[in-house]
Amino acid sequence: MVQQLANGVFAGSIYALFAIGFTLVFGILRHLNLAHAAIFTAGAFAGIELAVRADLPAWAMFPAVAAIGAAAGLVLERTAFRPLAGRDDEHFAGLISSIAFGGVLIAVLQARYGTEPRSFPLEYFPNRLYEVAGVRVTLTQILTLALALVLMLGLAWLVSSSPMGRAMRAVAENPTAARVLGVNVGLVTAGTYALSSGLGAVAGALLALNLGQADRGLGASIELIGFAVIVLGGLGSLWGAMAAGLVLGLAEALTVHWFDSAWKGMVAFAVLFAVLVLRPRGLFGGAAVREV
Amino acid sequence: MLAGYDTLITAIALGAILAYSFHIVLMAGQLSLAQAGFAALGAYVSTLVVPVEPLFGSLSPVLVGLPVGATVGAAAAFLLGLPVLRLRGVFLAIATIAFGEMVRVFLNNVEWTNGPLGLRVEKWVTVDFAWIVVAVLAYLVWRLGPSRTGRAFAAVREDELAAGSMGVDVVRTRMTSFVASGAIAGVYGVMFAYFFGRITPASFDFSLMLDGLVTAVVGGYLVFFGPVIGSGFLTAVPEIQKALGLEAGWIHPLVTGLLLLAVIVFLPGGLSTLLARVHRRPRPVGADEEDAFAGLPPLPAPGMTIARLRGVEKRYGAVRAVQGVDLEIRSGEILGVIGPNGAGKTTLVNMISGLVPPTGGEGDVLGVGLGRPGLAHRFAGAGVSRTFQHSKLFHRLNALDNVLVGAHPIARPTYLRRLFWLPSARRDERRTLALAWAQLRRVGLADRAHLRPGALSYGDQRRLEIARALAGRPTLLILDEPAAGMNHVEAAELAALIRSLAEDGITVLLIEHNVRMVLETCTRLAVMNFGELIATGEPRAVAADPKVVEAYLGAPEPGESEHV
Repeated sequence: MVQQLANGVFAGSIYALFAIGFTLVFGILRHLNLAHAAIFTAGAFAGIELAVRADLPAWAMFPAVAAIGAAAGLVLERTAFRPLAGRDDEHFAGLISSIAFGGVLIAVLQARYGTEPRSFPLEYFPNRLYEVAGVRVTLTQILTLALALVLMLGLAWLVSSSPMGRAMRAVAENPTAARVLGVNVGLVTAGTYALSSGLGAVAGALLALNLGQADRGLGASIELIGFAVIVLGGLGSLWGAMAAGLVLGLAEALTVHWFDSAWKGMVAFAVLFAVLVLRPRGLFGGAAVREV
Repeated sequence: MLAGYDTLITAIALGAILAYSFHIVLMAGQLSLAQAGFAALGAYVSTLVVPVEPLFGSLSPVLVGLPVGATVGAAAAFLLGLPVLRLRGVFLAIATIAFGEMVRVFLNNVEWTNGPLGLRVEKWVTVDFAWIVVAVLAYLVWRLGPSRTGRAFAAVREDELAAGSMGVDVVRTRMTSFVASGAIAGVYGVMFAYFFGRITPASFDFSLMLDGLVTAVVGGYLVFFGPVIGSGFLTAVPEIQKALGLEAGWIHPLVTGLLLLAVIVFLPGGLSTLLARVHRRPRPVGADEEDAFAGLPPLPAPGMTIARLRGVEKRYGAVRAVQGVDLEIRSGEILGVIGPNGAGKTTLVNMISGLVPPTGGEGDVLGVGLGRPGLAHRFAGAGVSRTFQHSKLFHRLNALDNVLVGAHPIARPTYLRRLFWLPSARRDERRTLALAWAQLRRVGLADRAHLRPGALSYGDQRRLEIARALAGRPTLLILDEPAAGMNHVEAAELAALIRSLAEDGITVLLIEHNVRMVLETCTRLAVMNFGELIATGEPRAVAADPKVVEAYLGAPEPGESEHV
């Protein structure tokens, strides 16, 4: 039971890390970026490639993956979102163009890596096992939790206290007014995508490290859970996404414990559905959420 | 000649059917993505009823399955629509995706579906059969386009608020498109099952949903044959690739993704807009206005009270936008409402036109009581019509179609009759057209009927909004700052137009900052300040009222007035 809860926390921290990038873009730019899952997958493959080919140790691999993710985010913004800015159907078209970008990215990954799963080298990350209060945890899981926490807190600090974060919040509130007051909206938009995608790529590499391998479907497997997390947390709310990621991870772990793993998939969606119908702002969402 | 391509050609038909289930909700602007769930339910239920032998020796047994699939899909859509259609945009998209996933997990875990292994059935669907179904769907969508219902779909897609104010029942229209989409998705599920001969819960997953959406968008949802084009195009890509000798598995998703990106960026209406003459110039219909309005009940006689407000109040949190307003509107008058910015004028007319319910007080407008939200279409149906301060035209419809939507309250539903080409439907559509043309001529836009609002000048856009509001032959016409941004020549023309409307017996409520125009046009003035009505009465008298002067120019400092 306690073991299950602990596993739920680790799964939940990856969900949360995936979801904060997703929700960051929505919160600031009102774009639902459906290419996020593809960037997540790309991050996983990039991590493995860096480990296998360049022999980078983990401490250097994650920042490199973040940089690659950020670069992909810039390309994404440039090709799939910027050309649509100001159009009547901007939001709808952005949804479609991000699906297209995600499809292209996955196809490129397939061209480079084929359809078989790729693995991290054996012994890449020390596979030590600890026992804390009767719960077995691996070093990878500890790293996951620690990294997720650091990144989430860092992001929260960035958005709330840095000049860049202030500009982002201004754009979220009113892009036109922000522009008039001298905020470089184009730069903030690009920066938001870079940040979001960097986080998404790191989340992908982390999940791959936990699993030991990655395949093309890695992002798709977490994408729907990601929806559930951001809605549960209130679309656009960073703290909400973090809390909701943990809640969903725990809920899934408990469903497996009490019922049957076959019903695991149902939990996220039943919760998601109920929240949307009863409380569209999400459990943790404030009044700031606007509908598109 | 086509031998050997049977499977491919049938696959195009199936893709088109799936895309139609997206097409129909996209036409109404709803991003609903539950089709995979509806299709799965339709497919699984149909396996329980489809006979194992051909009917009467020769008919396809799938004929039994199609109505069952359609009914199951429609019923599921209706039940799902009750809770989720309150949501919009991405929230609706996510809720409907969640529904699809729940259906899949459910089918995986119950007994009668045989779980993940799925069910095997006979492959009854042939090429001809599949294309007959596509043809029927295309026909149904084609006839929908220029009907009253089809225009309601387009209006809701472009602007729900304006659609409601033009008399379109937004809730019902969204539900109609949702249920139709469920029915088509159910049909797709049945076709899928009896074409491939096997269904598993995984057949109806997230990626199926994406395929349908992509096909519908690439084909375009503004033209009725869009899904067929989209499906033909996307199904042909792998074939062309094979013909070129490119076998690698990653080329297909790459090319599809790049094409989709190119279409959405450079061709927002989809591929079908390349083939359809979307911007064709409409032919004027000449009947004069008298004929078009014949048969409608007469406007109320001048001097009758058509709206009565008592103590009406609207609060937003702690802000009282409007408080304690008592106001009567009498037929035939031109009532001007003036006041400084933020005085509550627009909030007041939003309540009178049913867009926002008051938080206190009571009132009725043309027999419809103020109070419940979401009923703007009832006010429009009773004869209230309006323009907006920031014009809310339907951007992807041309000027004529904008005005046609305005005729919604007095147009008759024609869709079912159009399916059978009844002459009466044609007559009714011509009458509605004549009405719309008459209004375009009245505001002087007949030669620009084919243009979209974005191509019109600012003044023309405001005039177009007035024509749209007039097309429903309102008893009470509300104009919210119609002269804003007009030069003085245009404003003078507008004032003349307003006076001529009053001569026709239409009651006008005019919000305007152009005081000279208000004084020259209105028969009565109401002045608002800080949410309260501070004066009403004859224009010259009200304009001289010290309270009014103070509201506009501020109170004089004590002793200051002697020097002025």
